[in-house]
Amino acid sequence: MHEIQSKTVPSVDVKQVKCIHGFEAIQRDYPVYLTDESKLSAKPFDYLWFPKDELELAAVIREMSRLNIPITIAGARTGLVGGSVPQAGAMISLEYLDKVEGLFYDPLLEEWHLRAQTSLSLKAIDNMLQFKQFPSLEKHLDEWVRSNFARFKEDPNNYFYPPDPTEMSASLGGSVVTNASGARTYRFGPTRAWVRGLRVFLADGEYLDIPRGKYFASPAGKFVISNSRGEVKSFNIPGYSLPRTKSATGFFTAPQMDLIDLFIGSEGLLGVVSRVDVALAKREPKISIIQFLDSEDQALHLTHALRSDGRLQLDFLEFYSENALKLLSDLQIAEPATVGMPAIPPQARAAIFFELSFDPKQEALDFSALEETIASCGADLTNSWAGYEPRELERLKVFRHLLPETINAIIAERKKDIPALHKLGTDMAVPDVHLDEIWQLYKQRVQEEDLEWAAFGHIGNNHIHVNILPRNLSELEKGMVLYEEFATRAVALGGTVSAEHGIGKIKRKFLTLMYTPEQIEQMRQVKLAIDPQGLFNPQDMFLGEVAQ
Amino acid sequence: MKIVVCVKQVPEVTNVQVDPVTGTLIREGVQSILNPFCEYALDHAVRMAKQLENAHVVAISMGPPQAKDVLLRCLELGADEGILVTDRQFAGADTWATSYTLAQAIRLAVPDYDLILVGKQAIDGDTAQVGPEIAEILSLPQITYGIQIGLSPSGRQVRVTREVEQGYEVVEAAMPALVSFSKGEMVRRAPSFRDVLQAREKPLRMLSAAALNIPEEELGLKGSFTQVVKVFPPPEKKTGRLLQDLEAEEAAQAIFDYLIERRFIE
Repeated sequence: MHEIQSKTVPSVDVKQVKCIHGFEAIQRDYPVYLTDESKLSAKPFDYLWFPKDELELAAVIREMSRLNIPITIAGARTGLVGGSVPQAGAMISLEYLDKVEGLFYDPLLEEWHLRAQTSLSLKAIDNMLQFKQFPSLEKHLDEWVRSNFARFKEDPNNYFYPPDPTEMSASLGGSVVTNASGARTYRFGPTRAWVRGLRVFLADGEYLDIPRGKYFASPAGKFVISNSRGEVKSFNIPGYSLPRTKSATGFFTAPQMDLIDLFIGSEGLLGVVSRVDVALAKREPKISIIQFLDSEDQALHLTHALRSDGRLQLDFLEFYSENALKLLSDLQIAEPATVGMPAIPPQARAAIFFELSFDPKQEALDFSALEETIASCGADLTNSWAGYEPRELERLKVFRHLLPETINAIIAERKKDIPALHKLGTDMAVPDVHLDEIWQLYKQRVQEEDLEWAAFGHIGNNHIHVNILPRNLSELEKGMVLYEEFATRAVALGGTVSAEHGIGKIKRKFLTLMYTPEQIEQMRQVKLAIDPQGLFNPQDMFLGEVAQ
Repeated sequence: MKIVVCVKQVPEVTNVQVDPVTGTLIREGVQSILNPFCEYALDHAVRMAKQLENAHVVAISMGPPQAKDVLLRCLELGADEGILVTDRQFAGADTWATSYTLAQAIRLAVPDYDLILVGKQAIDGDTAQVGPEIAEILSLPQITYGIQIGLSPSGRQVRVTREVEQGYEVVEAAMPALVSFSKGEMVRRAPSFRDVLQAREKPLRMLSAAALNIPEEELGLKGSFTQVVKVFPPPEKKTGRLLQDLEAEEAAQAIFDYLIERRFIE
């Protein structure tokens, strides 16, 4: 079925919705809303809305539509490309829509689904699932919700929600519209793979309920959306092919695609996601291992070996370059308590960080496959750190996050002298076969340009973050030229310019590296069909004005 | 040299939540871990053993069968052998009965020990009594709140740097001796995956009440001088009164009036 009808919600008076009027008041009393994790600065905007439920959200959208005022949608404002930083008009902060609405078992898919409002944080979800503590469901007025929750509690298994972007304070809805991924995307796929249903408010204030597996593009690639007033919008899905890597660049498209996938990763350009259903996976005991290595080449070798060994099922596969380890070693000397780990082996020149299933209670542990694979690359399991208790897993995770935090701290220090400086972190991914080639290019070019840099990240998905740390504006300039060179090469190799951060406002020109003007026009036509006024996030993804 | 390290399995308290209705701890999902202070003691033992020839580190714990997990953890972290003292008869033991049982287990299972290292306290009970009580039962010199340990130049005495309120003091004791440990400047170990795998090959044995040859009336609840009647979280403190949007003079007057009213000043 490719036709779907939107529904209305009862009207409420928009005057009852909490709103801060005027940029002066917003600047004075609500300064945190003037930027997000990208550190991009807002331009003056006139309304800061805080709807407390879907009725108020619909009222705000209708009002802004009536006044033709563009809307920037904000969740937890943890994005890295400025998506939630307004450049004009109004901001809708969805932070009050943060309730859990239910846990339901899907007998067909044989999986539990969590239904939550858009702004529930991923960290809150993880905590609640870990302890099976959902106070709002315990006391829910609906008997059916309560009984499903009781059934969930009785289930002897423990569950978790697999997508794990680095910033777990991210909101569920934000992670959906950015199709967020993280380390565990290596095994579990990005957010898209776990979304089972969405409620999306459109520019006319009506909403769509979109379960996965119900609405598919027609064989000709068409979707039709009608509303309660009988107005009909129809559009064709874009005709380009997606890269053969994980990607957060532009709208999703595929022959006879599911409508839900159009909204996932659409960066809030098509509507406001207010409610999300996601699937949960069984929580199994794990072990995380940081394997220290003699060289970066050995790290690449081991990556290929671990990926191709069918006996091993890793949850993630991450990389540290030599200079990344050096940064951490220096930090360890200066602040050993901050690092909280034993000394990094001085002979280590690279490391691979991975996780796999591990039951410590098993009498006999057979990890011969892993031992053989590690040994086949000339590495030694003695040079590793391993942890399987929850607090040890957390300790290694904290260690992983320390590197980007250290880089950010170095740049923040330099910014005190040169305010225009910022770090440059690449976000490209390429297909498996081109990992070595893109790595050699990264390394050779940053060294040729004599830039300070460190590389780390999702090598399992060929998605290494090369972080350039400019010491002055001339190096920043050089770094930006390199960034474009890397992006161009990644696209030429069949990869993506943005594997997880998205396009937002900051990376719009990179969309044009990956897609032709005709293909971008196809995306723009989808946007205009669903949001003809260009109401939602009009400064994102596309260069120039969206609305015609 | 033989070094015994007494260890305890405790709940991971950073994750403990209290049921708002019953006021009791929510056990569901709470993990058990090696008591951090015991881990520091073990770390010192392993460090010392690496510097000595023929040193042997034995980790010993009294607890239910699942306390085997913390002994496995000790073996991963470098202990050579683990002993779990476990029996239903030990249930309800207070610090005295625990110390008595552990002391007897050490006497029987590691009679040739040179040092007994313990954490200064467990993070669940927080009594800090078991280490000193073991020393008393075994008539050993004891040094508490250690943060560094080594041997004296003669090699016959243990030399410990211990925390005191004013700073540190360095003391020596004849061996065998018992030393309890604080955290100090310690950075915790991280075992390699090889350590994790090899720990499963190391000896780990169980000792029951029968093996200890202790009269039944000295064990568990029967052998305890004290009993825990109730465990409850401290009452929530009332939130203070916040004076806002007042000029400094007005705020000072309000505080003054309050102090007078409550008779803190006259």
